Amino acid sequence: MGFLAAGLGAGLIALGAGIGIGLIGKSAVESIARQPEAAGDIRGAMILTAAFIEGVALFAAVVTAILALNITV
Amino acid sequence: MPLALRHLLLLPLFLLVLNPSVSANNSTDDAQPVEPVIDVMGKVLDHDYLMILGATIPLPRIFLVDGDWYFYANTQSAIASDEFQRVEGEIVRADGAPVSLDMSITSHLMYVWFGIILALICTIWAARRYKRGVGRNVEPQGTAHNIFEVFFVFIRDDIAKEYISADKYKRYVPYLFSVFMAITFMNLFGLLPWGVSATADLTVTATLAGITFFITQFSGTKDYWRHVFIFPGVHPLIRIILTPVEILGLFTKPFALAIRLFANMLSGKILIVCILGLIFIFTDIFGPLIGVSSSIVWVSLTAALYILKAFIALLQAYIFTMLSAVFIGMAAEEHHHEDHDTNVATATEVTT
Repeated sequence: MGFLAAGLGAGLIALGAGIGIGLIGKSAVESIARQPEAAGDIRGAMILTAAFIEGVALFAAVVTAILALNITV
Repeated sequence: MPLALRHLLLLPLFLLVLNPSVSANNSTDDAQPVEPVIDVMGKVLDHDYLMILGATIPLPRIFLVDGDWYFYANTQSAIASDEFQRVEGEIVRADGAPVSLDMSITSHLMYVWFGIILALICTIWAARRYKRGVGRNVEPQGTAHNIFEVFFVFIRDDIAKEYISADKYKRYVPYLFSVFMAITFMNLFGLLPWGVSATADLTVTATLAGITFFITQFSGTKDYWRHVFIFPGVHPLIRIILTPVEILGLFTKPFALAIRLFANMLSGKILIVCILGLIFIFTDIFGPLIGVSSSIVWVSLTAALYILKAFIALLQAYIFTMLSAVFIGMAAEEHHHEDHDTNVATATEVTT
C-alpha cells in the first residue's frame, strides 16, 4: 500500500507542479508579449515563483520517499 | 532522511537496470544471483577514492570510535592494520564497535574543495587586476576579465540590488558572489569525464543552505522577528495558527533550497548514466550487434542531455543565489508600520 500511495503521490506532485508552473509560464509569456520591454523583470519574477512551486513539490517528493521506503517517523 | 531520498531517487532506476538482466537470465534458466549490468548507485554515491584521468587515488580515512581518533592513508591500510574490518560493506572497529563519526576525506569533499579553490583563484586574480586599476580606470581587458565582470555585475545588480534593500545590499554581495561561483564550479565539475558534481550530495547542499539560513537569521531586523512571532494587524486568534506556520517556514526555506539543488544535480547525473547504460543493457539482452548500433541513438541523446545539464548547472547556481538573496532581503528589510498600527487600532476597536 505504501508503494501504491507513493506512486500515486508522485504522479499527483507532477500534476500539481506541472499545472502551477504552466500557469506561471502562460501568464509570463502573455505579459512579455504585451510589454516586451519588461521582459527581464518578468523573467526574474517567473523563475522566482516557479522555484517556490518547485519547493512545495519537493516537500511532497520527500513525503513519497518516506512512504516508499516504509520509514516510520 | 538524506539516505531515504537517495534511495527513492535510485529505486526506479534500479528496477530499470535490474529487470532486463533478470528476464534475460530467466530465459536461459540460470539460477545464479543476478548482477546489475551497470552500477548506477556506484556512479552517484560518495567514494573513498578519487578518479583522475582513469587513475584511482585512495583518499585518507578519519574515524572517531568511542572518543578515539584513527587516521589512515586509505581504506586498505585501515583494514590491513587489523584495527578495522569491513562488515556488510560498512567499516567497523575490530571489536565490533561502529564508527561514531566518520570524518573521512571523500571524493565529494575533494570536489567541494576543488570548486572553492577555483572560485578563489578566479576572484583573487580579478581582484588583483582591479587593484591595479584595470576595470576601474579603464574598461576590463581580456576575455576572462570581461566574463568575470559580467558575472559579478549580474550578481550585484540583478540579484543583490534587486532583492535586498538599497542601503544594505553591499554587505551581502561577497557571500552571494562566492556562493554562486562555488556552486557553479561544483556543478560544472560533473560535466568532466571522471568528474563528480559535489552538489549531487545532500550534505554539501545542506551545508550551503545552512550558511544561508544563519546569515538570514543574523541579519533579521526587529520587523522581521515581529512578523514571525506577532503579526501586526492580525486578529489574535489567527496568530495562534500563523505563528507556528511562520516558525516552520524559517526552516522549510533553507530545506527547500538544499533539496532543490541536490535533486536537480542528482537527477541529471542519473539520467546520463542510465541512458548510456541502455547500450550495455541492450547488448546484454539482444546481443552486441543491436547494442552497438543502438548506441547511435543513446549517445546523441546523451549529448543533448549533456548540454541541458550544463545549462541546469548555471541555472541552479543562479536560483540558489537568487533565493538566498530573497530570503536575506526579506529578513533585512525594515518597513514602517503606520498602516499596520492603524489596522491594529481599528481591529481592537471593533473587537471591543
